Amino acid sequence: MSILAVTRREWTGRRNVLLLALGIGVIQLLGLYFDPNPVTTQDKASFMGVFSGTMLAWVIALLFGATMVSRDLEERRFGFLLNQPLHPAQIFLGKVMAGLGLALVAGLLASLPSVLLSGLWRQLGLKDVGSILGVGLAGSLVLLLFFHAVSIQVRSRSLWLLLDLAAWAGFFLGVRWLSLRLIDTGAFPDMVHLWGGLLVGVTLGLGIAGYLQVAQGRADLQRGHHWVSVTMALTLGLVLLAGWADVAWVLKHRPPAAKAPPARVQIR
Amino acid sequence: MTSQAASLPVDCRQVGVRYGHTQALDRATFQVEPGQVYALLGRNGSGKTSLVRCLLGHQRPTAGRVELFGQDVWSSRQALMHRVGVVAEEPDAPPLMTTRQLVRFCGGLYPTWDQVGVDQRLQRFRIPMDLPFGRLSRGQKGQVALALALGPKPALLVLDDPTLGLDAVARREVYDELLGELGERGTTVLLTTHDLAGIEGLADRIGILHQGRLLVDASLEDLKARHRKVSWAPTQAVDPRDLAPFAPLWSRAGSLGGEAILTQGDPSQVPGLQAHPLSLEELFVALVGSDSEVAS
Repeated sequence: MSILAVTRREWTGRRNVLLLALGIGVIQLLGLYFDPNPVTTQDKASFMGVFSGTMLAWVIALLFGATMVSRDLEERRFGFLLNQPLHPAQIFLGKVMAGLGLALVAGLLASLPSVLLSGLWRQLGLKDVGSILGVGLAGSLVLLLFFHAVSIQVRSRSLWLLLDLAAWAGFFLGVRWLSLRLIDTGAFPDMVHLWGGLLVGVTLGLGIAGYLQVAQGRADLQRGHHWVSVTMALTLGLVLLAGWADVAWVLKHRPPAAKAPPARVQIR
Repeated sequence: MTSQAASLPVDCRQVGVRYGHTQALDRATFQVEPGQVYALLGRNGSGKTSLVRCLLGHQRPTAGRVELFGQDVWSSRQALMHRVGVVAEEPDAPPLMTTRQLVRFCGGLYPTWDQVGVDQRLQRFRIPMDLPFGRLSRGQKGQVALALALGPKPALLVLDDPTLGLDAVARREVYDELLGELGERGTTVLLTTHDLAGIEGLADRIGILHQGRLLVDASLEDLKARHRKVSWAPTQAVDPRDLAPFAPLWSRAGSLGGEAILTQGDPSQVPGLQAHPLSLEELFVALVGSDSEVAS
């Protein structure tokens, strides 16, 4: 119940976002209504409704993540939550749920009018709806957690930022190296799996870092940054190590037929 | 840990806070007994805010230990906050929430929430319930914060400069509310303030922080009994050096005469000296005023 209380608190004052989303939905509907070529209406509804709804949800998640804790800390409002009998997990999860809920409802409000009234919904199965919602929510979660971490790192203005930059640079270089090894052997599906695994690992790390920032940093922005930096550096290192092990395993166990042809028969 | 220590509402031991090379708080040690009103005084930058943040579990001290009701506040913050009401120096409630929404939010978090008491207080303060918190006046924000802090019937009330920026009427209302609470329930209060005159009839014990160190930790009665204020007219031939046996804490002499705050002995034997009642403000200024004025 306390998590929901925090979620409700976060929603207060942000309801204008939903009006904006509804406005976007209505504008799209007007665009479809005045469409000179009604044959393509469903395609446009698909693009405008689903795409713009997803994009709006992601932008809201990004902005929410960037402000949900760091702005409270900078404006010295985080103490209000710390002064209540709330566990750090309740505070953090309440805020994350508020961000995801806001992104989801705004995305639906922006996309539903055109999807419903264009008749596109008749072509969508339960699996399609699940996929769209799943991608929208998963993307929102990643963006929310990532920009929460970034906002703490940027606003604290501490030297831990150097560790962050080094960790992320090392991570991207590592991912590039692993990806190239898979590309060289033509193992494209494995590369997609690798990236998916890395994304899940990094998201998990971002979630843990966000929780530790609240639990251990509390009202101290720089101390929170310290925890975010250390957690993310460890996470990125561990995820990269797991990725390296995965790539090594793939390269060792790929059936010979699936391996890339020898260099001498490659088309130049 | 003794049972007496376990029951202490506030127990700070050798608490230190350091920011980089700056020692904001240096080995502060003090206790607050149940039912006591402890006033923590100090100039801006003396370390009060750091100490309060440590007391509320917002910040981990770099040295020492802070306990509330016998429990370490850093590790048991959530459980302890059921028994602690807080009024922050800067009203920190979400600015877009109305008072009604704030009351509902806080009320849902405490099993001991006194809804009737909160409603009565807010009515007494004449707070508009449906106006966003950010649009209330400075005084009204402080009053809402006090009403919310008293809502769960706390055993300990921590007030961080609750009268900062309030006019005389609003200040009086805050103190009246506190006196009522103290009279009814005997709540332990720890407050920081710059309003020294306002707390003189309220505080049982005084702590004075200066440059991160706790200079004074004594009951107000003791402090006043230990210090005497004297003055002399310009026509009186009093040499400030004559006061040396009385260990002056502070003295000032000029063409208009002189005055001093003495820490020992009976100055009535010195001809020309007049004794005066000593206010907390005079004592505070003598203790932490500019170094040139401090005699010892």
